[in-house]
Amino acid sequence: METGSRLKKKSVLQKISAFAMSRDLTAFIIPGVDIARANNLDIEASGLQIVASPRHASVLVIIGSLSAKLADSAAIIYAQMVRPRAILSLGEAQLPAFLSANVTAEISQDGLVSAVQDLRQWFSNNAFSEEVTDFEAGVLSTRIEYVCPMHPEVVQDEPGSCPKCGMFLVKREVQANSNAVNSAAQHDSHAPMAATAHSHKAHQSVDIASGKYTCPMHPEVVQDEPGSCPKCGMHLVPMDEAANAEATHDCCKSEDEASAEKHEHKHSGHDHKSHDHKSHEHHHESTEASGKYTCPMHPEIAQDGPGSCPKCGMHLVPMDEAANAEATHDCCKSEDEDPTEKHEHKHAGHDHKSHDHAKMNHGDMDHSKMDHGDDDFMSMVDVTKDLPRGDDDLPMEWIDAPFGPFFPGLPSGLVLALTLAGDAVVKTEINTITSDIILLEQPTTDFEGFVDNLARLNPLAPVSYRLLACLALENAADADVSKQVMKARIGALERERIASHLNWLAEFGQQTGFGWLQNHAANLQLKIQQADFAGILLLASEVTKLVNRVQKTPLLKARTKNIGPTPKDVPTTGPVARANGSNHDARNFDPAWLELGFSPISSTGNDAFSRLNLRLDEILQSMELIKMAEAIAMPELVKLPKPAAVELIGQSSVETARGMARLHVTLQNSSITKASLQTPSKLHEPLIAPMIDKLELGDALTTVQSLDISPWEMRF
Amino acid sequence: MTTLIVVILLIFGSYLVAVLENWVNNGKFRLTAPLFAAMAMLGRESILSHKPDRLFFEVAPALLLISALLAAATIPLTPNLIIADLATGALFINAALVYVLVALLMAGWGPNGAYAMIGGWRFLGQLMAYAMLVVMPITAVVMRAESLFTTEIVVSQAELWNIVYQPLGFVLFFIASLALCFLPPFDLPTAEGELAGGVEAEYSGVRLAVFRFGRLTLIITLSAAIVVFYLGGWQGPLLPPWAWTAIKILTVTAAMLITGQLMPRVREAHLLSWGWKLGIPLALLNILIVGILVLVFPT
Amino acid sequence: MTAQMFFIGFFGIAAIWFGVVVFRTFSMVRSALALLFSQTALGAMFLTMQAEFLGVLQIMMMATEMSIMAIFMVMFMMDPGGMGTMDMTHQKKLSLWAGFVSFVGGVAIAVFVDWGPIAAIAPGAAQQTVDLGLELLGRSMLIFEMAGLTILTAMIAATAISIQPLKKKSQ
Repeated sequence: METGSRLKKKSVLQKISAFAMSRDLTAFIIPGVDIARANNLDIEASGLQIVASPRHASVLVIIGSLSAKLADSAAIIYAQMVRPRAILSLGEAQLPAFLSANVTAEISQDGLVSAVQDLRQWFSNNAFSEEVTDFEAGVLSTRIEYVCPMHPEVVQDEPGSCPKCGMFLVKREVQANSNAVNSAAQHDSHAPMAATAHSHKAHQSVDIASGKYTCPMHPEVVQDEPGSCPKCGMHLVPMDEAANAEATHDCCKSEDEASAEKHEHKHSGHDHKSHDHKSHEHHHESTEASGKYTCPMHPEIAQDGPGSCPKCGMHLVPMDEAANAEATHDCCKSEDEDPTEKHEHKHAGHDHKSHDHAKMNHGDMDHSKMDHGDDDFMSMVDVTKDLPRGDDDLPMEWIDAPFGPFFPGLPSGLVLALTLAGDAVVKTEINTITSDIILLEQPTTDFEGFVDNLARLNPLAPVSYRLLACLALENAADADVSKQVMKARIGALERERIASHLNWLAEFGQQTGFGWLQNHAANLQLKIQQADFAGILLLASEVTKLVNRVQKTPLLKARTKNIGPTPKDVPTTGPVARANGSNHDARNFDPAWLELGFSPISSTGNDAFSRLNLRLDEILQSMELIKMAEAIAMPELVKLPKPAAVELIGQSSVETARGMARLHVTLQNSSITKASLQTPSKLHEPLIAPMIDKLELGDALTTVQSLDISPWEMRF
Repeated sequence: MTTLIVVILLIFGSYLVAVLENWVNNGKFRLTAPLFAAMAMLGRESILSHKPDRLFFEVAPALLLISALLAAATIPLTPNLIIADLATGALFINAALVYVLVALLMAGWGPNGAYAMIGGWRFLGQLMAYAMLVVMPITAVVMRAESLFTTEIVVSQAELWNIVYQPLGFVLFFIASLALCFLPPFDLPTAEGELAGGVEAEYSGVRLAVFRFGRLTLIITLSAAIVVFYLGGWQGPLLPPWAWTAIKILTVTAAMLITGQLMPRVREAHLLSWGWKLGIPLALLNILIVGILVLVFPT
Repeated sequence: MTAQMFFIGFFGIAAIWFGVVVFRTFSMVRSALALLFSQTALGAMFLTMQAEFLGVLQIMMMATEMSIMAIFMVMFMMDPGGMGTMDMTHQKKLSLWAGFVSFVGGVAIAVFVDWGPIAAIAPGAAQQTVDLGLELLGRSMLIFEMAGLTILTAMIAATAISIQPLKKKSQ
């Protein structure tokens, strides 16, 4: 069952090509390069080149095991890869059946190097084959649905007409399994060219109050008594008609195929069916003669009776004999080209019982004829007037673009479903799909197991969580920890802090396109992670050189200054908080650290630049702390004394590289019965959406990167 | 005949640029890597995305390559090796290079994907910033040479290279060249960290090979243009003209590639702001200075 | 002589054909780029007519301008991709009349204006550039300087109008 080969007969040309492919292996890493580095793997050194887009990759490298949703995303990535392609799985992971590995190896640099040799062998032999099967996975199945170009919430399974406006429904292909999450390179979701209605302005949010009148086209217009809408001239309708008061109506929201709510997406405030009929009824009342009917979008159509427009399917509306009786229409036909007179922008037929063109600015056009349609002019500037805009104030097209979970510029595992207006973010939806780890399935007496489980929580910070668990249990049992052991633990934690910040620097370098930083920080991180105490001392000068060099980089300040301030009065922790003037650091409350002369570093600035500088300073500070600690050893649980009471509660807090993490455990009769965890990334998660709102895409990604969020922690 | 020789030299030059780029980005000097990469790319599938604008998708890489080749056609490698010594050579280079923008717009719009589209339109914004910074320094160079012939521009630098005569113009043209061939720190359309490859992301197989080849040819064409306009072309003591051209072009290319590694990507807002508020006044100042020099010290 | 005429005809027809594509296609971006290539064909016509500087200038300027027009079309137009099949043309009668009047006017100008004596051979391209420069800074200086200043004023005015007032930005 070969899904990775290319269907071609093997000949000399193919042999040469296959050989070339075996020497030119490009890899896409799942879940991400940062996880690879956290496992001490140097991908580039093994002969694989890392690429950013699945289309350029020939090998899918899967490190460790994947949760179900991650496996689905991996399947999507594999499906997007170009044949010939292979899967390399590192670690004895149980991959789901649809994602079978071509080569497996253990998670170590040697394992990786031997695996690369095997991959070269595989490509030489199997790049072209005569028996190839299609890759199938549940998540890839699609179905066809039909949607109205004007009302994106109208979705049907069969072709037909929109019940609201009558237009022919347009075909669209979406994912069959709506629970799956879009992956980085999913391109089907919201094609900029699809003829959907997101070019129509999105209706603004509305405060619904009863007894008021609103315009069906402009919900922000609210009056106390009936009349005409100042923007388009339509008769206002009572708001009570709007059944459920739905505030925001986003034309584009329904394009999100992962959202199961698209059918609930109500047009409540704009119950077009009733409103349109109302306006049509007005038409009927005010029509004085002639039974001619025309299409609101195609004024050149003129029929004698009601029906559907042959071009687009919309319900035809009567033409007023006196004027152009175009009914209410999203596209606001403005007969008025003069922008200062937009209040004159009337949908004819509603306001003129009499034919009053005096106020309209038509130049020298002759209006006595009925066929006004040809001379009509749709001012698109008016149509896009009310579109919500990004920071650059341009009314651009809205696109849904999913970023993640394997997007190169974001922490791996983070899914940001962004809606972009042009290239400014207007809506954010965050998802994490990373791990299946459960903190405490059932009461257990296996303390070591609990500690190990917690250490596996975040592959980027195993030492911190290990230490957290040990301290909590020791706190609960009131155990004594010797100074030696404590100092060694400090050494380990600080080493991890340096490695974590270097990892962050490497990811930051990749996101901002700073190649030198990306390479050097990654290399240094690998060296530090594997170094013992003596090794760290030797690397100290290299670390200092890197920090100094980064601080002197031209344009770095311009790139990050004033980008991404945190909103006011929102709790933050870690470097994000300390860059905002706070002094809060969990290490400040621990006598062991204070003995080594620790004092928290803080600065003001509250932007990506100050966070960057703070992390650089913390690297230097951690180096000093390691030197004072004089030892490095992985935190191990000490022997716990017999419990004094039946129920014991313990808590601990550890300053991880990202912020403070807290753990509460409850021991009953020598078994852990309850555990609750607060992680810094979970605290920062609600910050993402408000912080990147209205930012340009590059700035938005830099902001998210500067928060140093780890999706692995976000489940708690 | 000259056409054939120049095209072969361009291909060889692209190969050298690929080797250089690999070395600058990854620290590895591998002479066979570009060859294997090219052969591998030709053997891979060429995939179409969902509902692409087929015409644009196919034409874009070819247009990129063609525009680079057209620009290279008016650049003299030695006094006799020039495909077309047009009387408006210096202007023609710019005219051909503008189609890089059209190619990237097509490549952005064609695949019907968000990343590519954003990359494409970003390049339009980038062009707004660098377009004047390409033309105005060329104007100053032409003022000194009193001719638009590229060969005469080289000859006019016989006594003093333009890099010394008009250093401001050189700096501006160098920066604008980096922006034109979307090398870091101006790689907004193909940003790895922001757009997962952007304009390039949807291409695979043969089309990707043509796109990448077009990009490499563009880089080397621009290096050649810098050498011709500011570094005296083929002139130099001791070595034959072709050797000097080769050395100078490779040095300039290396400088362009190394510059990108050393700083983060420029924000689009800053690029436009600095380009217009700082770059254009400086370019005008350059023209003024060169004008005065040309009048005060006639050759 | 005949080769030149053939190419002029070829490029002329290409320009017209691309112009027709502009309003035949449903996609806004294709429309803009078709106009771009129509102008490029015109530039090629200039080159064939041995007006080298003008031809190169035309090719260069129009590429930039039409691309900018493309983004404005994407910004303000419905359905920029042309995936729907709605007819986007408006003001058909007016455009037909305008086109016809312009055509008649163009032909009239071409036929009835006294363009001066026909040169036996076109001057060399370098000589043309020199002559063009002398003309721009000599007889036609007033016209071109005014045009340049007008365009500059329009640019500044357009930018000033579209920029948000500062106090709103600082909120």
